Amino acid sequence: METTFIPRSLGQPGLLSDVRAFLAVVRREWIIFTRYPSWIIALFIWPLIFPMMYILTARALSGPDGSGLAVFIATTGATDYIGYIIVGTTVWMWQNIVLWDVGFALRNEQMRGTLESNWLTPTWRFSYLLGQTGPQIVTMAMFIGVTALEFGLLFGIRLNGSPWMLGLMMLAAIPAIYGLGFAFASLVITVKEANAFVFLIRGMVMIFCGITFPVAILPAWMQTFAKWLPQTYLIHGMRAAAFAKAGVKELLPDLIPLLSFGAFWLAVGYFTFLWMERRARKSGAIGQY
Amino acid sequence: MSQFAVEACQLVKKFPARPGTGDKPLEGEPASSQRKRRRLFGKKEPKAMFTAVNGVDLQIQYGEIFGLLGPNGAGKSTTIRMLCTLLEPTSGTAHINGYDIVKQANDVRRSLGTVLAGERSIYWKLTGRENLEYFAALYHIPPAIAKKRVDELIERMELKDRANELVEKYSTGMRQRVAIAKALLARPPILLLDEPTLGLDPQAARNLRELIAQLKQEGHTILLTTHYMEEADQLSDRIGIIDAGKIIALDTPEGLKRRIDRKEIIRLEVSGWQDYIGEKLRAMREVESLVARRQNESDLWEVNLQATDSRVVLPKLMESISQNGTRLVNMNIVKPSLEDVFIHLTGKALRD
Repeated sequence: METTFIPRSLGQPGLLSDVRAFLAVVRREWIIFTRYPSWIIALFIWPLIFPMMYILTARALSGPDGSGLAVFIATTGATDYIGYIIVGTTVWMWQNIVLWDVGFALRNEQMRGTLESNWLTPTWRFSYLLGQTGPQIVTMAMFIGVTALEFGLLFGIRLNGSPWMLGLMMLAAIPAIYGLGFAFASLVITVKEANAFVFLIRGMVMIFCGITFPVAILPAWMQTFAKWLPQTYLIHGMRAAAFAKAGVKELLPDLIPLLSFGAFWLAVGYFTFLWMERRARKSGAIGQY
Repeated sequence: MSQFAVEACQLVKKFPARPGTGDKPLEGEPASSQRKRRRLFGKKEPKAMFTAVNGVDLQIQYGEIFGLLGPNGAGKSTTIRMLCTLLEPTSGTAHINGYDIVKQANDVRRSLGTVLAGERSIYWKLTGRENLEYFAALYHIPPAIAKKRVDELIERMELKDRANELVEKYSTGMRQRVAIAKALLARPPILLLDEPTLGLDPQAARNLRELIAQLKQEGHTILLTTHYMEEADQLSDRIGIIDAGKIIALDTPEGLKRRIDRKEIIRLEVSGWQDYIGEKLRAMREVESLVARRQNESDLWEVNLQATDSRVVLPKLMESISQNGTRLVNMNIVKPSLEDVFIHLTGKALRD
């Protein structure tokens, strides 16, 4: 009887293999990112342009001699209105970039045609989404660094508080901001077109979280709504850490809700992904573009 | 280990239908009356469904090349997508290398190398080498083995000189070779190749067919979908002809052709063809099937006619054609091909 030699797969499943696969996704994403050189221009221009709109408006409203600033200082307790605005706009831009980058990560792969070939491998599928956050966090850190550098040089903005406390606040915000991005990415695969959702979410952050004004000036119902948005705590905590020399104890009222929202949004992001993955297997949505 | 590399039993896949494309209602009952009855009893009207794959049975032996042949939309790709775990069947079961495609999906993925969507399945902003290194990690190949395997495949696919260039600078044929190298990375026992030569120039397609034959020699089981009959004929040990989601014939290429070897195949090239001529010829008892297809945008038509007795048919054929400006350009009586088998079984051409 003729015997057939059957090749044996070279793949070796295990936790280490899954970690290597995750790191391969991070590396791939980083290489592709650096092959679009326009990111360098964006990195230097955007941190300056977006806050400038608010800073110039504030300068106009406070009067040529800055006499109107007294009212602002009385309301916010912040003497440096430029720093105050920069913190708010930076958080807004962080969430905005995450929605576009992480939120559309799977959709972009789907349109390129590469999502299916990733899906055909035995790798834990959430890695494809999780891996995209690595380079995103690095570029976002660069973005914040450039913001600090540019405003330090051009406007003489100096950090009063501890950079470690500022870093702690941003670290605590990662689960909430990226969890929302994961949930969003899974929905985008399903509905295909989600620009309107990005505009809605970033609009909510802009109005309710006080990116250029204190939440206290909002009507009561809006203040209640703001409490349900993690960005409100992030902006408040970052301002306290950067300019009011707040320590861990003072930051706890912001850190605890931020981490709680983080746990919630990570869970929502993960389960939305599982739901999308199951749904796509039934409908064939992964291969549709 | 399972006896079969690929085994499917009554695989069915239904999708929600786009308006006007759903399955037909039960015989004898118009769709409108079904809707009325549902409204009467206050039930929510179920979604109209379109059946893409309708009860496919397959048993593919280890080491075999199996060709799934059918026109566009016949259900080939949907079948492949179910077998490689991208799609979940609506009903039925399938096993790859002994693993259930739904319950043991990751084991199935480890057993498979799949080429879908060809050149679009790799990253154009990475080099050929970077693509292979990336997918080697996703297939869980340890780094030291992966490095050797990537070098080996780059050499084999004749990509060595340009392995470190971005894929966006490659030709379609080179991209397809990277996609195939990707499928071979983990040296999987079973390969699913969905239209692997689509869009390739004749030389690249010929090279790829040679590679597929070599892979069989190395022990790989290959399930190949194509709508090129010559490709299926040349490569496959057995062929399943699929139409409207069903396998309508399954045999060796020779076995399939034997089914109609008593028939005579008359192939004509005609200018100024008129539909009524076809109707007239079809009405003849000796004519079993007739398919007329316009060649490109010209006035030239290729007419494929299967007859039981060409001696009876030919005089009437000549008489019918030489009327009203219709002119016979070329005529051959040929041996049956797989396309003729397909026409015999379905009454339509493979490329319709």
